[in-house]
Amino acid sequence: MAERSRSAVGSFAAWSAHVADLCGAFDEVAPLAAALGAPDPSACDWHGSLFGKLRPEVSREPVLVAAVCGGTNTGKSLITNTLAGSTISRSLPEAARTLHPVASLPRGLASRIDVAALFPGFTTVAWTGADDALSMTSEHRLVWREDPTGAQPERLVLLDTPDIDGTLRENWRRAELVRDAADVVVAVLTQQKYNDAAVRDFFAAAAAAGKTVFVVFNMIDWPKQRERIAGWLGTFTAETGVSPAAVYAAPHDFAAAEAGLIALHPLPEHAADGAATGLGERLAVCDFDRIKRQAMEGALAVVLDPGHGLPAWLDAVDEAASGWRTAQALVEREGRVCVELPPVPREIVWEEVWAWLEPRRSGVDLAVSAGYRFLGRQIARAGRLVGLGLSAAERQEDFAATELEALKRALAEFVDRLDDACRRDARLAGLLGSRLAAADRTAWYADLERRHACLPLVSAGYRGFVRQELDRFAATNPATLKAIVTGLTVGSVARPVLTLALFGAGAAAVPAAAGVVHHLIDVGVTVGAPLVGEAGVAAASQGVRPLLERLFAGWSAERGRILAETIHDVVLGDAVEELGRLAAAGSRPELARVRTLLAACAAECR
Amino acid sequence: MNDHADAGATPQPAPTAEPDAAAFDALVDALDQWVASGPEWPPARRARIEWEAVAPRLDRARRELSRILVVGVIGGTGTGKSTLVNALAGACVTVAGDEARPTTVSPVVVAAPDVDLAWLPLESMRARVVRSDAAAVANVVLVDCPDPDTQPDHAADAARPRPSDSNHNRDLLEAVLPACDVLVLVATAQKYKSWIVAREVAAFAPGRPLLFVQTHASRDPDIRVDWRRELESQGLDVPRIFRVDGVDAAARAAAGLEPDAGFRELLEAVDAELTGRAARRVRRTGAVDLAAWFVRQAGQDLAPVSGPPAELAAGVDAERRRLSNLLARTIGERLRAERAAWQRLIADDVVGRWHGGPFAGFLHVIAAIRGLWSRVRPGTGLVGRLLAGQPAGVAAGTDGSRALEDLGLAVGEIEQSRSVLAGLAQRAAIGDPLVGRARADGPRATEAAAAVVDRASRLLATGIERLVAERRSRVASPFMQWTFEALFGALLVTVLVRAGWSFFHGNLWEGRPVSGVGFIQEAIVWLVLWGLLLRWLVHAIVRAGLDRDVAALVRSAEGADLAAPLLADFAAASLTVGGWAADGERLAADAERLAAACGGPIGLGRLRRGKP
Repeated sequence: MAERSRSAVGSFAAWSAHVADLCGAFDEVAPLAAALGAPDPSACDWHGSLFGKLRPEVSREPVLVAAVCGGTNTGKSLITNTLAGSTISRSLPEAARTLHPVASLPRGLASRIDVAALFPGFTTVAWTGADDALSMTSEHRLVWREDPTGAQPERLVLLDTPDIDGTLRENWRRAELVRDAADVVVAVLTQQKYNDAAVRDFFAAAAAAGKTVFVVFNMIDWPKQRERIAGWLGTFTAETGVSPAAVYAAPHDFAAAEAGLIALHPLPEHAADGAATGLGERLAVCDFDRIKRQAMEGALAVVLDPGHGLPAWLDAVDEAASGWRTAQALVEREGRVCVELPPVPREIVWEEVWAWLEPRRSGVDLAVSAGYRFLGRQIARAGRLVGLGLSAAERQEDFAATELEALKRALAEFVDRLDDACRRDARLAGLLGSRLAAADRTAWYADLERRHACLPLVSAGYRGFVRQELDRFAATNPATLKAIVTGLTVGSVARPVLTLALFGAGAAAVPAAAGVVHHLIDVGVTVGAPLVGEAGVAAASQGVRPLLERLFAGWSAERGRILAETIHDVVLGDAVEELGRLAAAGSRPELARVRTLLAACAAECR
Repeated sequence: MNDHADAGATPQPAPTAEPDAAAFDALVDALDQWVASGPEWPPARRARIEWEAVAPRLDRARRELSRILVVGVIGGTGTGKSTLVNALAGACVTVAGDEARPTTVSPVVVAAPDVDLAWLPLESMRARVVRSDAAAVANVVLVDCPDPDTQPDHAADAARPRPSDSNHNRDLLEAVLPACDVLVLVATAQKYKSWIVAREVAAFAPGRPLLFVQTHASRDPDIRVDWRRELESQGLDVPRIFRVDGVDAAARAAAGLEPDAGFRELLEAVDAELTGRAARRVRRTGAVDLAAWFVRQAGQDLAPVSGPPAELAAGVDAERRRLSNLLARTIGERLRAERAAWQRLIADDVVGRWHGGPFAGFLHVIAAIRGLWSRVRPGTGLVGRLLAGQPAGVAAGTDGSRALEDLGLAVGEIEQSRSVLAGLAQRAAIGDPLVGRARADGPRATEAAAAVVDRASRLLATGIERLVAERRSRVASPFMQWTFEALFGALLVTVLVRAGWSFFHGNLWEGRPVSGVGFIQEAIVWLVLWGLLLRWLVHAIVRAGLDRDVAALVRSAEGADLAAPLLADFAAASLTVGGWAADGERLAADAERLAAACGGPIGLGRLRRGKP
């Protein structure tokens, strides 16, 4: 027997540890789930059972929480006061006046337990008077008081609750929080309200969570309506699944009610044990362990319910994460813009390569080249004089203007595509829509213009890149120096095509040639059109072409990067990172851990 | 206790007047037109949907002004609706009691024997008709409605079936209420703050005056003061709340006894407020209230997006100015860059008019030589073509963006402007089909580009023509021509005289050898140089002040708002939407004025007017 008891204790310890771990793991997952747009867990019954019942009770002195619940003006406060033996909550003729739950604690309990931890979701305040529960405040407040007489059973906590069907929806929530924390629910019904949908829903959740329910039919035309009660009770139990431990009838007596008096007639024919025991007595001498165990098991059953419990909610989180993956795929598909940059002014890359070649060439070669270059310059100058051809400065100016225009077009198209994607996917609309609509788009273009104006045609970074590439090439192909010269001479004008795309997960297929991996938005670069004079280059050397591609592509990537930076820094901010994070959320270990702990809890429970 | 007595007392309302029928008809017609003219804009679409429900009611109010009123008795289950109906009907016409909730599972229509109910949609209401000759229902049709609070809020769950899964009372109630003209809201101490009842009242109160009745008077405390507060917090005007005991009243009626004071008040109110001329007033004020409510709702729906259309309009102005300035600047640059073309254009014109002299002949020769060069380098762009005297329009099938680039406006700039405006449009919930996409492609863009090119070419052609004409006048006078002919001719004559002198005097007379080809060559060179100098002088005269005049032309291009067609859809959308919203505000003011002018039925509650 002792061994069995030890085993039970050990099992409870393991089980309560799992519950605590599960709550901790859930706390880690909750912000992620909220970001994913998963259903609000606090609106789910299992959440109330887990956090309102299981977590507060697995690690502290067990107490029996009995809550008196019902619709507006059904006499909850009066019944609570009767059970508590004094007026802890003012009973008034007007409906829905009890705005905050009032708890009557056995003497000395407040010093042994943390009342606030027992009732999560509430700000607990000590009782000062019977009107405490009537005070208008938006916070969820729970008023508590210790029984001054010492007559209240040692481990019984008794609560009066706000209504569950009135026009103040906050009252519903407060009543639900109390119900979740309760082991015993005293359902106060009347002939007007026993079949109201709001009332049924409230008590059905209590029944599903294994609460022990006592039913009080209040305001009965006694004894005339006594025979009706069986039919009313039958409807109520069939609708809610409640199996009442006992049923009582309270006669309608306005004068007695005004005086704070109420008579509860036991109806033994409807009691589970068939006894005509008074409600106060039942609460005092109830089978504490059985009720407690039933409440805890019931709460756990609600949490584990595959259709409506935590597993179903985790499925909903998975579904939401999958929705975000779809949204990310849509962005990756749609948020891809092809930027056609103008042809690169040949001297930009060319001059850099010449600068690198200069010290590596022979005197004769240099002299011949210098001669050709002088001749070429004179011919170009003559051409310009008669209106044919442009100077290098004019070409670069034209290039800069055309390039800026191409980047602006790309930005416009990019935003246009994102707008479209938002229209097609509600999640994206939620994440990006407000940024795209609320922003001052003029500032985006101003930012792009500023970045473009600040970007030199050849940056130090690019210069370094060219030298590095050429050094590497020369080291591996020492014989092809001449081929480089030939290649550069015959084929130097390329029309680069940038593909700018959002890659939330960073899975960009960036050609090695680009050599640019932006930390957020990758600019995939390919040289779209073949190099002019490709045949000549190919004839000179097969190895030169990839090098030239790399050189031009590297330069183009650098140009495209300013657009990527504008999009990242100004247009989208951290939204793409957020999108990536949400799309990857489904595979996060925290979610898997919650599932594992849930399985462990289920196993311990079995 | 005094409070309770006051709660049921009739407040003194403002004198009521019969609503102005013509003004009401005009308002309904204006609302109909307003809704029909709504653009493809979400608030306008929502107004259209709402109007589909409201318009038939307003139409009925106009057509059936004298019809008997339908009074729906509504309230939570167990509040005594059926008992009250029985009391009013003076007999047990509908099942009432406490045996099971809900008691009423299908509506019961109580009407006098001679009342034709053909116009009531009894089938869709799934209602049972009971005839009664009680005085209270002689001039009204009473409907005992199902309750709204027993039907589950959630859909049935196959895993957890409940008996109430087959309860459709709220659906039935919502099928009945549209046919009701007046609502009698019944409540008890337990149910006067029912959330679900409040929700149904809020949905059906617009345009339907209400009577408020607290039942169970013999059992429950008087809650009328608190109920009035509650109803007022829900946006209702509550002139009066009746307090009756339905069970007692029904028993007295069945026994043929006089009603008690509370129930008599209710009977008197029904007779005074809902029958005869009062019924007409109830229907009319209900309709006016409904119209005012509709336009107020539409206004509230518009409120969150009322600022953005103005922002869009400002954005359109700014972007149009930006593009027009860009375009004008580029045109200016090109006009200034085409100096040679200007000269050629003006000089060619002058040459075309100067005939008959040696200098004119010289200019013709130079023009012919230059003509060869211009065939090598034809005018580029719209400006170049205009200056070269070529046609400037957009050829059919030409890409719109190409045409604009040809004009000197980069497509990137247009797309930037359209993208900025697309953002502003989004803020105002304006989208397709009111505005197009940011991308400047497709037939719409080509059309807009053609319009811009057309505007620009007309403006430029006129401007250039004016400039040329003004300059032509400087050198076109015969005096100017003959002055230059004289100057050129002077050298020619000198050369000829020199040659004649040399030949006749030197060779024939003095016998010196002829100076030969050397002299001829020298003479031609000097003649050409002199001719070119004179030609330069002609050009200098016509060129004087060209830069200033080109700048003036550019300024006129800036003022001409050349780029407007490129953003025309955004401009039109902001105007349409803004105008529609402004019309709505005007109609709301009209409706409120009309509603205020016609007062309201005494003793009946209704949804509060004006802004909530």
